[in-house]
Amino acid sequence: MSQQVLEARELSKTFVSGGEPIAVFSGVSVALAAGQSLALVGRSGSGKSTLLNLLCGLERPDGGVISLLGERFDSREAEAPRQWTQRWARLRRGRIGVMFQEANLMPALSLLDNVRLRARLAEQPLEPCQSWLERLGIGELAERYPDQVSGGQRQRAALAMVFAMNPDLILADEPTGSLDRRTAEEVTAELFRLQAETGVALILATHDAELADQCQVTLDLAHGAADLTPGASAGPAP
Amino acid sequence: MTLFTALFSHYRRHPLQLAALALMILVATTLWSGVRQLTEQARTSLAQSEQVMAGRQQVVRVDGAGLTVGDFAVLRRAGVCVMPWLEVPRPDAVGLVIGIDPLAAHCFAEEGAPFGTPGGSRPARLDGKPFVDIAEAARLARQLPAAETPPALVLIAADDTLAAALPSGYRLVSVSTGPDTGELGESFLLNLDALGILVLLITALLLRSVYRLGIVQRRDSFALLQRFGVPLARLRRLLILEILVLSALCIGPGLWAGGWLAQSIGQGFGQSLQGLFDAPLYASPGHWGEPALIMMTVVLLACLADFLVPVRRSHAPRLRSYPLAGGLLVTGLVLALLGPSLVLLFVAVAMVFAGVGLLAPLLIQWLAERAASMASDPLRRWRHRELAVMARQLALPVVALQFTLAMVLAVQALVTTFEDTFDRWLGQRLAAELYVPVPSGQPAEPAARWLAAQPGLQQGGAWHRVIRGRARVAVGDKAARPVDLLAFAPVSSLVSDWDFLATDGNPWEALARQDAVLVNEQLARRLGVGIGDRLALEIAGSPLALPVAGIYADYGRPAAEVLVSGALLPAGFEAEFESISITPGGLSREALVGGLKQVWQVPELTLRDNAEIRALAGGVFDQTFLLTRAMSILTLVLAAIALLIMGWVFFTGRAWYFRLLATWGLSRREVAAQLTRLSVGLTASVALLALPLGIWLTWVLVHRINPLAFGWSLPMAVYPGFWVELIGLSLLIGLGIALLMGRQLRAGAALPVSASSLTGGER
Amino acid sequence: MRRTMLVLLWMVLAGCSQEPEQAGFAGLAESVAEGMAEGMAEGGGEGGQLFYLQPGPDTGLTLPEDLGTHPRHRIEWWYLTANLRTESGEPLGLQWTQFRQALLPREAGSIPEPATWPLEAAWMAHAAVSWNGKHVFAERLARGDVGNAGAAARPFSVWLDQWQLESVSEDQWRLQVQAENFSYDLTLTINDQPVAHGIDGFSAKSDSAQGSMYFSYVDIAISGTVTFEDQSLAVEGRGWFDREWSSQFLKTGQQGWDWFALHLDSGDKLMAFRLREEGNPFVSGTWIPAAGQARPLDSGQLALSVIEHREGVPVRWRIEVPAQGVNLELSAPPGNYRNQGLYPYWESPVDVSGSHTGEGYMELTGYR
Repeated sequence: MSQQVLEARELSKTFVSGGEPIAVFSGVSVALAAGQSLALVGRSGSGKSTLLNLLCGLERPDGGVISLLGERFDSREAEAPRQWTQRWARLRRGRIGVMFQEANLMPALSLLDNVRLRARLAEQPLEPCQSWLERLGIGELAERYPDQVSGGQRQRAALAMVFAMNPDLILADEPTGSLDRRTAEEVTAELFRLQAETGVALILATHDAELADQCQVTLDLAHGAADLTPGASAGPAP
Repeated sequence: MTLFTALFSHYRRHPLQLAALALMILVATTLWSGVRQLTEQARTSLAQSEQVMAGRQQVVRVDGAGLTVGDFAVLRRAGVCVMPWLEVPRPDAVGLVIGIDPLAAHCFAEEGAPFGTPGGSRPARLDGKPFVDIAEAARLARQLPAAETPPALVLIAADDTLAAALPSGYRLVSVSTGPDTGELGESFLLNLDALGILVLLITALLLRSVYRLGIVQRRDSFALLQRFGVPLARLRRLLILEILVLSALCIGPGLWAGGWLAQSIGQGFGQSLQGLFDAPLYASPGHWGEPALIMMTVVLLACLADFLVPVRRSHAPRLRSYPLAGGLLVTGLVLALLGPSLVLLFVAVAMVFAGVGLLAPLLIQWLAERAASMASDPLRRWRHRELAVMARQLALPVVALQFTLAMVLAVQALVTTFEDTFDRWLGQRLAAELYVPVPSGQPAEPAARWLAAQPGLQQGGAWHRVIRGRARVAVGDKAARPVDLLAFAPVSSLVSDWDFLATDGNPWEALARQDAVLVNEQLARRLGVGIGDRLALEIAGSPLALPVAGIYADYGRPAAEVLVSGALLPAGFEAEFESISITPGGLSREALVGGLKQVWQVPELTLRDNAEIRALAGGVFDQTFLLTRAMSILTLVLAAIALLIMGWVFFTGRAWYFRLLATWGLSRREVAAQLTRLSVGLTASVALLALPLGIWLTWVLVHRINPLAFGWSLPMAVYPGFWVELIGLSLLIGLGIALLMGRQLRAGAALPVSASSLTGGER
Repeated sequence: MRRTMLVLLWMVLAGCSQEPEQAGFAGLAESVAEGMAEGMAEGGGEGGQLFYLQPGPDTGLTLPEDLGTHPRHRIEWWYLTANLRTESGEPLGLQWTQFRQALLPREAGSIPEPATWPLEAAWMAHAAVSWNGKHVFAERLARGDVGNAGAAARPFSVWLDQWQLESVSEDQWRLQVQAENFSYDLTLTINDQPVAHGIDGFSAKSDSAQGSMYFSYVDIAISGTVTFEDQSLAVEGRGWFDREWSSQFLKTGQQGWDWFALHLDSGDKLMAFRLREEGNPFVSGTWIPAAGQARPLDSGQLALSVIEHREGVPVRWRIEVPAQGVNLELSAPPGNYRNQGLYPYWESPVDVSGSHTGEGYMELTGYR
């Protein structure tokens, strides 16, 4: 059995709006091993992005425990916020690749420099950066700036950045959401190809059912937290 | 919701931007209109005293007593055409009013409208300040605090009045309009004008940057409105209306505040005008229409220039402006070095500033790009690239801050140099412990004989008579010019500490031997006189030709002056003022005062000590630069605030990317450090670039403008301590931006709606 | 000129929207006074509560006090015209006038402190000499109460700067004027009692009860020296002295006036004036027979008509007083007798012919 990368149990998150607490979701559990892929589906506002944020420590859950790459984050333990954020920051810096729908690149840097910056932060060698761009089919665009290439090319560069850091887990939030269908398919194909090659675990938030189908497991937040069946929705892949 | 409220809703969401715009307009109006009001007033005053008083004579009493209305009646009854003239300070306000009697002025009217009435056949109409009816002036004079010297009545005589026509007990003297100050007063005002324009320029830059920021942020809503069918022309009209309303709302209070500013520093300004150029500051009514119109135009131009010139996609300076900027800079530098007139110098300064203003952001950008391409560390490269983007995005406020820093630096250097020099000079001049003005109507000689006979004075004491009057000086075959005359008798040890700008051997010995004269710097400059040149002097009608043995600095006065030995004064010489400088040595102060009282047979003796005079002089000179200082500091504050706002807004636009750094695992502290390095990097480079500009401006002020504007030069000095302070201030501004941004980051940053639609996505 | 002032004054009082320049030295002084209104108000405005007095038929004359100033009246003047002859017998005309205009009415006794440069009255003096077809004129202005201009009844004295008229004995006055191109120094011997015009000195100036107090010395023997164009001329002849004061005079629409003072060789004297206005002019005068009481003349008893104009100015006149058998033709000598001061007017000697011969003076205002 491959190595367990992530295990989250009974995660809940509440927002306060107009003085009233609103539960985004509660009791969500997720587990994922290396090389596995999980699709997070649901309507807009169902909490996909929030869950991703919890899983990479950009937000703190109101309840639940996350075990990630050997680190344990228990919301019930009174850990100092600073220490909590620092542990998460370390993980994101070297081991979790986060990718958004767009604006994943620094506009003032060329595509290659963006990849190098990400690799440098992850303390990975800088030499392979150019080859990552080439593996994603944009090697000749290395010196271009983000505003000089197409949206698809930008997302390929973002993929190159994520893979160049040699992560253990990739969290992608609608990575093809702003692309046309064909480009989206191409980028998705690259993502799955490289994921398979590198054996990294992948969580993909999407509203695209076809894209979700390409993942091994699907977690549906569509009906909100109430309809979620703990344990049944996500577990170790067969 | 109307279209206007739809447009204006932007400011409802960003009230700070609106406040910043309003503040810019208000402060710009205040500073500029305040200075303008003073210079206009001063200019009018100069013209008025020139027009009315030039070449006129006045009647005085032979016994030296002050004139009264009774003297006026006596003279008029005797058929002498005289007119009363009473200058009174306005209560709680700036300037003097001149009380005249328009009815008495009627006999002057035949001479061709001397009192500002066209046509000449009618007496003056008192339609405005500074002229008021003398009854009003007399009323104001009665309301003056008892401590103030009551204004003296002057009786101006018609030009054709002959001394023989005067009743006994009266004599004619020329109305002293002060010494021949050349163009100094005008130059001084020109200086202030230039400063005012510089401030106006800087504030216009700031205004433009803040306004453009709002426009860029509103671009999407404009596009939306256009898609809804609102024509572009209508949108523009509304924008013009918006800025018109805003400026109308702010210019009024700005003008009011400017009036208040002029009021509060005007008294001091009037004093320095009087002290420096012997020019009175008369009260004159403020004009509001013109400044308001000019200000409105400046605001509209600064904000709406884009509507007037073909719209370019990017307003950032571009590399192709290098040749233009370089050309301006080089031409300006050459012109500043060689320009013969004040106006040309100001043009030169304007060109250098324009050149620097265009080049500075490009230079920061270029340096940052270069540093980026040389950096192998991707993070450092990113930071340098960000700095380049900032330099371009914030070009206007950056340039404004640079200008202001340079201006503050130069003004500080000038003022400090001036203070130091003046202090040292005053120390030399005020070597004696006591100063005794000779009572009016009394001769000084008996006092001199008495002093010479005091054994106590010989023990560590020293004294000399100081005689002031007028003389005429000619050099070569040029026409003789009136100058101030200063004479010492005897030439005592009290003067031996004077620093000379140029000397030939021992000038005091030459002076005491009556072999030579000394001249002040003003005379040397104006007449082009050097050591050894022979001056043809005319003192009380007697000719005298002597070489110049020394040129001494004579700060804070515009007049040309020649210093001679008192022994050379002819018998007919009439001193305008006489005093005795005394260091009593072994003689007690009581004995001195008692002795002099007895010699002069007066019950009271005015005795001024060193400290008193020093304080008086210091006070006058502090006032001189009060305005300059106040303006530069206020502008600095304004520029700092503008950069702070702009920097903050810039960072807000790019907040997502800083969040991205956090997403990529940089700790909050690391992100904050990056932010700080960036903003401080920007403000520090602004300060560093301001240094050479500031030092150059100091040089121009000290070596080029000051001699032309004041008639004397100062040694050029630089104050690196102050540079450090300014750099420190820039760093503080940078830290302020970083701090504001840090708060912004903690509040969370939204993903840019579309990476290319906002300024934040620019590279 | 005096009448011009009155016209102008009337305009000011009536709030007439005539060109303010026309307000003359009165207007000038008033514009000054306006500027001071604030200050005066602060001072409690002693004069503020006082009204100007209006003269009427029952006012009556008081001498010699009425030779002095009337501070509660708005305007007054002292006015001398003289028909003189040089030693060689050439006629020489001469005029001297001094005006006072109050800006603030006040009690006769309350004199402001000169050191405050009070602006409560303005003074103006005119002097002219007409000789050999030439006419010279000078004008002086002064503010009152500071000393260089004023008038006093006892001893009688009127002065403005170096010009002055003063009594030197019971019936002798001395008039001294030094102007830029002429001067005179005359001794005036007053030979008769003053003549009160109108009703006890109240001389009506319109049909609607406006008028002034007005009396004259009409028989004055004059001798002295006139310096004219650097020639010193010994002169002798007779003069006519007017004293007049009021606070309100002419009504709107009166355009100017024509005034005559005539010495007839019969020993009779005639004063006549005409105020020009739309419709019928207001005509009035006084017949002063060589012996007996002076008689006021109204429009039914006195007729004035123009015979000839010279450059817009009526220089030949016919004056008729049918009851006295008087039918006179008046003519100004050749020349231009405009007094070109602040406010030009015509002032010339006249020759009298017709039923009587004689000489006199004519003042015409309001002609352009």
